[in-house]
Amino acid sequence: MNLSTKAKRLIAAGVVLVGVILFITFRYLATPAPPAVSVPPSVQLVESRLVGRKEGQRQWEIVSRMVLQEGDVVTLSELEEMIVFQDGEPYLSIDTPRAQWQRKQEILHLHGPVLVEGKEGFQLESDFLEWQGRTNMLSSPGPVRIIWRGMEITASEMAMDTEEGVVHLKRDVEIRDEGLVWKLEEVVYNLDAESMDFYGNVLMEEEAGSD
Amino acid sequence: MIKKLIIFFLFALLLLAALGASGAEKQSGKLEITGVPADAATGRYDREAGVFSADVSGIEGALIRVTFEEVTIVGQIMEWRTEDDYLIFTSGAELTKEDFTLTADTVEYFGSENRLQAAGNVVVVTEDATVYSDQLVYNEETDEAVFTGQVKVAFEDGTLEGERFVMFLEKNELQFFGAFQGLFNTERE
Repeated sequence: MNLSTKAKRLIAAGVVLVGVILFITFRYLATPAPPAVSVPPSVQLVESRLVGRKEGQRQWEIVSRMVLQEGDVVTLSELEEMIVFQDGEPYLSIDTPRAQWQRKQEILHLHGPVLVEGKEGFQLESDFLEWQGRTNMLSSPGPVRIIWRGMEITASEMAMDTEEGVVHLKRDVEIRDEGLVWKLEEVVYNLDAESMDFYGNVLMEEEAGSD
Repeated sequence: MIKKLIIFFLFALLLLAALGASGAEKQSGKLEITGVPADAATGRYDREAGVFSADVSGIEGALIRVTFEEVTIVGQIMEWRTEDDYLIFTSGAELTKEDFTLTADTVEYFGSENRLQAAGNVVVVTEDATVYSDQLVYNEETDEAVFTGQVKVAFEDGTLEGERFVMFLEKNELQFFGAFQGLFNTERE
């Protein structure tokens, strides 16, 4: 096929144009496909017994009907049993409907109503508790009620160092003990020594109706 | 004059007796510590030993106030031993009941012994007179109030001074021990 010089130039120009269009399209406009990322699927377990260990020692043990792991967060719901250990021995028993364990940070959130029970009739009630595994601190940023050795303690805020056995109670602290009611601003209670350090103003009255 | 003196001490002893009686029966008491910043240490309650102690002497304007029945004791340092029903105020304590005021360096109440004791710069003020002494002990069992050490009773029209002075409530009896010296203004308008 004989093509005129003009036709040849037109074809050559067309080829160049198509080439330019294709180059622009693929170089600048087309987005390359993202590289393949490994996404671990969520793991859901049913009727599980989980054991947390630190340096080989049991820290906690949980029996839960539902365990959902998403990344580093483990959500436990329909909890049947939760036990916190100290020196390998059961220390606290926790009754809570839902808990979240942030594995890397070693933080356990307990969503209420939470009831913590320990030795010698120890009871602690709160709507929300945070347990920090690294510092052994159990804290309630909201109202808390504690029963301990015949005393009833309420406060608007609490932080307990479970290793040292020291409880910090803040704001609107009220202690009922042997017919006496103590109203305080802040108390640091050493559970083992059975001593309380008071801060701020103090009011102590006899409880109405006590002998 | 003696009649006036008897009336005064009867009044004072009645008040002390009321204080003692309130200790013997179940007290409806109240303890308040006021004027303390929220972050300042106020006191400590050792539950095992049954001892509550408070010290606000380093906090300006802070006070410890104990009220039972109609008696109020105010001070800045105190200790309360709940097991023994013992209370001590140190560093300038003041006890008031109606128009009766007792101030002393220390005021102690021994609940199990029904005894009130004040020591150091004891001053008892009533409407009629002021008594100064080094020590005052009121014992509910024996019904006697003993003022000892540089006792001085100041009335509007005179003073009595001595070393030991005992008052028995039911007997309406005053006993002056050792040398007592009186000085009275006998002028009448």
